[in-house]
Amino acid sequence: MIKKILIANRGEIAIRVIKTCNALGIKSVAVYSDEDVNSKHVKMATESYHIGAASPSQSYLNMEKIVETAINSGADAIHPGYGFLSENADFADLCEKKKLNFIGPSGKSMRLCGDKMLCKAAMSKAQVPTVPGSPGIVEEVEKALDIANKIGYPVLLKSVFGGGGRGIRLVHNEKELRQAFELASGESKAAFGKSALFVEKFLPKIRHIEFQLARDKHGNAVHIFERECSIQRRHQKLIEMSPSPVVDQKTRDEIGQLAVNAAIAVDYENAGTAEFLRLDDGTFYFIEINARLQVEHPVTELVSGLDLVKLQIDIANGEPIPFKQKDLKVNGCAIECRINAEDTFLDFAPSTGKITDVDIPSGPGVRVDTYLYPGSSVSPYYDSLMAKLITWGQNFEESRQRMVLALSDFYIEGVETAIPLYKTILETQEFIKGDLSTDFLDRFKILDRLRDDLKNEASKKADVALAATLIHSEFLKNKITPRKEHSMRWKTQLDRH
Amino acid sequence: MKFKLENTEENLDGEILQSLSNNEFVLKIKGKELNLKILSMTHEKIEFMLDSTYHIAKYLENNTSRITLVADGVKLTFNKHPDLDKIVYKNSGSESAMDSQINLKSQIPGRVVSINVAVGDKIKQGDVVCVLESMKMQVSIKSHKDGAVKSIKIKQGASVAKNDVLAEIE
Repeated sequence: MIKKILIANRGEIAIRVIKTCNALGIKSVAVYSDEDVNSKHVKMATESYHIGAASPSQSYLNMEKIVETAINSGADAIHPGYGFLSENADFADLCEKKKLNFIGPSGKSMRLCGDKMLCKAAMSKAQVPTVPGSPGIVEEVEKALDIANKIGYPVLLKSVFGGGGRGIRLVHNEKELRQAFELASGESKAAFGKSALFVEKFLPKIRHIEFQLARDKHGNAVHIFERECSIQRRHQKLIEMSPSPVVDQKTRDEIGQLAVNAAIAVDYENAGTAEFLRLDDGTFYFIEINARLQVEHPVTELVSGLDLVKLQIDIANGEPIPFKQKDLKVNGCAIECRINAEDTFLDFAPSTGKITDVDIPSGPGVRVDTYLYPGSSVSPYYDSLMAKLITWGQNFEESRQRMVLALSDFYIEGVETAIPLYKTILETQEFIKGDLSTDFLDRFKILDRLRDDLKNEASKKADVALAATLIHSEFLKNKITPRKEHSMRWKTQLDRH
Repeated sequence: MKFKLENTEENLDGEILQSLSNNEFVLKIKGKELNLKILSMTHEKIEFMLDSTYHIAKYLENNTSRITLVADGVKLTFNKHPDLDKIVYKNSGSESAMDSQINLKSQIPGRVVSINVAVGDKIKQGDVVCVLESMKMQVSIKSHKDGAVKSIKIKQGASVAKNDVLAEIE
């Protein structure tokens, strides 16, 4: 049985894992870099150890150091969180070798999930539909042309070594494909010593819908519903929700079963996520398995009532999943907004610095997972995710309204955030109707609407701000003496009026 | 007094009509009289009742010509001398007016991934001058104007802070 967990991560996810450790009476071990001496996860853990310099390669990605720290601190398990080492098969293997319980899938399963071609082949065997394209690596341009003709243009030419949108070329006809193929294989050879390209059908308007999975050491597997993650920027999710407005119970059963089959196909163990693309005609294509706890796991927790980190720990302990698929029912609706430190109007460029003040929203159905506190800082060395704001409601509309209000109550001073953008999105008719797609921001010119919303908001506050400005000039002329602690006399005076 | 709300370009009139005892004031804003009572006040922050509604404002930046504040969570900037503004900025040559014409500054902190221009290059507004990396993201820094690269102030691999000068473009 796991008694002490080292959390090989930082920020909000480290805190999230510590909370479940506390709930289960498990001791937590935090690790931190030079940059994180004052970070919240360091203060919350049972024990905390410094592991290196600010740069991730010297701290949160330093496998040897983390394993050594785990052993020296007497931890018997490692939770990798997301990002950093969470999907590093070598790290999972190293933990196993050192007799540390890695809370996640095996290294072998991770390698299978991480290799696009092997994974696609495994899915094809398990009859899980994937995006139409080449069954494996295409070495000759004539072969690529054959496939493109079969599936129809436009197609994407992708490199196996790419990821996150890199190394992808969109081609519309034979001539473009010939040119792109030559360029891409040259690049690939130069960078990796070999060409590893494949062809996939280009899908212009898509939704991103994923299924939460869990599979134990005894072969029991369930899906814990879908999450709609279509609102994105640069292929990164901004808003997630469960259930999806386009998934009914029949579809959920059907695609959920495909997701479970996908997990079995790669012998997946622990919690994970099967990602799908959905076309407007209702077709789902499997794209990949994320072999970790997802950033957006709280929406699933709120509609299922489960603690997914606890489920992860139970599975790592060798316990069977304590419920069956038929026991799970979607309860209400949950929405998550990722509060990133970035400037919407500078093409979402990072915004870092000290958080001089922060006001965290609360109320019925409001959950905030964050590492922020007044005086904390947002470091340029790490991911821009500062907080996740999640709301639950009995239905979509209640959840949405709670989100709008909670966004208005969320005040972060010191860095730019996408909070105003989310307010704009949540209030659009298109979002309310559920007309979502991965190009939502461009398709509905959301940034233009945001500019208008911000002007209106400023206009509404103009009187208040001008009043504060007038008084400030009076204050500077020393006509007003500072009053830090105000009396409550004004209230009684007001009451008398 | 006249103010210009820079967020919306609208002009507003505002003045203090009367200063009563006990930190109460009568203001006139956009032709309307309002009662203001200070609950607490420091250089950085004010809490007050405007008529009978509570408000909080934080003063972020203040100089002779502009003030930026956050009123009830909304950030606004007023130009205090909208009429003088045009004349002063055009003719002063001080402030940051000259700066901003030549210097390309970084709006984010980060590490220099690549420098895409050389001294003497003729470039157009929007051309990529260099690429910075911050928070795992690469951000292209584009030229703010047409011109020639007079000097480059950064080296590949080096770190830059927000507002550092990256290059001079004439």
